Amino acid sequence: MKINRRKLLSILGISPALLTGSPLLGDQTKKKVSASAVGVKLETLNPKGSPPAIQLIPMAPRLDSLDGKTVYLVSDGFAGADRFLEQIRIWFTKNMPSVNTVYRLKAGGLADDDPKLWAEIKAKGNAMIMAIGH
Amino acid sequence: MGFPTAPMVTIAFKELALSNAAGRGMPLERICFTPHPLTNKTDEQMYACLDGNDPVSGKPLMKEVVEALTKPLAAEEKKTGTITPTIGPPTYTDTADNLQRYYADNGMTDYMPIILPMQEKVDAMLKGTSHHPDEVVGKMSAAPGAFPDWSFTVKQVAVNAVMAGAQPEFFPVILAIAATGVTSLFSSTSSFARMVVVNGPIRDQIKMNSGIGAMGPFNDANATIGRAWTLLSKNLAASGMPGQTYMGTQGNGFNYNNICFPETEDKLPAGWIPLHVQKGFKADESVVSIFTGWSMNDIAWFCPLPLHEVIKGWLTHFFSTSVGAATLLLDPVVANDIKAHGFDSKEAYSEWLATNSKTPGWLYWQTRQNELKQAQAGVEPYASYLKMGDAEIPVSRFWRRPRPGAPADAKPTSSIEIIVLGGETNTYWSAGDFSYTASASVDKWR
Repeated sequence: MKINRRKLLSILGISPALLTGSPLLGDQTKKKVSASAVGVKLETLNPKGSPPAIQLIPMAPRLDSLDGKTVYLVSDGFAGADRFLEQIRIWFTKNMPSVNTVYRLKAGGLADDDPKLWAEIKAKGNAMIMAIGH
Repeated sequence: MGFPTAPMVTIAFKELALSNAAGRGMPLERICFTPHPLTNKTDEQMYACLDGNDPVSGKPLMKEVVEALTKPLAAEEKKTGTITPTIGPPTYTDTADNLQRYYADNGMTDYMPIILPMQEKVDAMLKGTSHHPDEVVGKMSAAPGAFPDWSFTVKQVAVNAVMAGAQPEFFPVILAIAATGVTSLFSSTSSFARMVVVNGPIRDQIKMNSGIGAMGPFNDANATIGRAWTLLSKNLAASGMPGQTYMGTQGNGFNYNNICFPETEDKLPAGWIPLHVQKGFKADESVVSIFTGWSMNDIAWFCPLPLHEVIKGWLTHFFSTSVGAATLLLDPVVANDIKAHGFDSKEAYSEWLATNSKTPGWLYWQTRQNELKQAQAGVEPYASYLKMGDAEIPVSRFWRRPRPGAPADAKPTSSIEIIVLGGETNTYWSAGDFSYTASASVDKWR
């Protein structure tokens, strides 16, 4: 079968200019490079930006025990968190049956705040277990 | 929040969770760790994790969870006050080789050699703008909401621009990119990429390449502006720290240069307008526009169908992390062919594509669990869709609903962006899952 090389190259996305015999490389004349001054010390600048100050937040007081308490099981919405929290509910049922559990899905994306849910937990619950990530 | 909390995090996110808790003011937060990943485990396997140990502490996991909620607080856990994080000394002094090593070893580069940012080079870079070196340019976070915003000045951006090898005349473009506050190294397990498109007179003024090889390593401005975005994202926002502020499981090669190019404005088909004009800027303004996605295909399909139909076919069947947005980079040859088929504007073609591209059955059901349940219960039109098998279901993925709060009469818009780019050496077009993110004025930073 006769093959049209120009067409073949075109199909392959290669320039037919390659058939003309034009030089592929430019002038490769060697240029002298000045030797770097070995051992000379330089002063350079720090490229970092400015992080915000960190306000330390005291942790909330802990409970004496979970007996008779309501623990919210909160998902951040990642796949599988709901199933994992269901297993935690089952674990409490089997191992600490006096604990009341409530499942909730946090509103918004991973990093979004959900003040409505926090207010609900504060009003109706005693603690939260939150499943984060994958 | 005011009530005891036990966060449960999979072990793969240990560094991220601990550093994020510290950065948010609770360095001793009682985080309980599980094996990773959990998403692919059965219910029984998940329960077995609860009966096992925390892989970090080695203690029984659920005992640790209960203790996190009930063990009295230590004095350190009740501490208040302010911590000022340190970013190191203002300057470093050493030999050139040692400094190259130091910047790389401390995560301040892309692990390719940098131009060492000596004062005289930074001063020269600062001559590329009229703005004061101490002026605050903006804020940037490795992932908004998840990590705190860092702020940065004109001078701090200039240090990074020098490191990337940029010329002072490129500096307003780099400042505009920084001013968007968008990191090029967004923290997600899905390995995001960014793209930056330059429009307006600045393209020619700094001799950017929008012709042959525009997205490749063939132009000073295209190369170094794109690289500068990655370096400044690392250094000005603490982005790109693997395990802490970067979690892309495989990473993304686009992150080296962020697909930086100018639109081929001089070869736009008659009646088509440049990207920045589409986004509300004047034609004689210089603008950067940022896109977010993951992947790109480079395609020429020599077949009897016209190009606009071939692209529609690709859109129907392409699949990626984001299946609801696309950006097309059309060589001028392709754009003019599409125009010749009656599409008098980018918008007209974009809307035609959004209307006419459908969704193959195999893909439709992967992203619509609720509809699948309804289909199985006989609810229409889903039940009929399910009977179609792998055939194309007449639902487009590329219409975007009006944002919450939009006027009541706001209509859906096409999520397909179109940019003209290339050197007209063939009928190629590139396309991928990128979506438009933001634009910023370059002129403001001259």
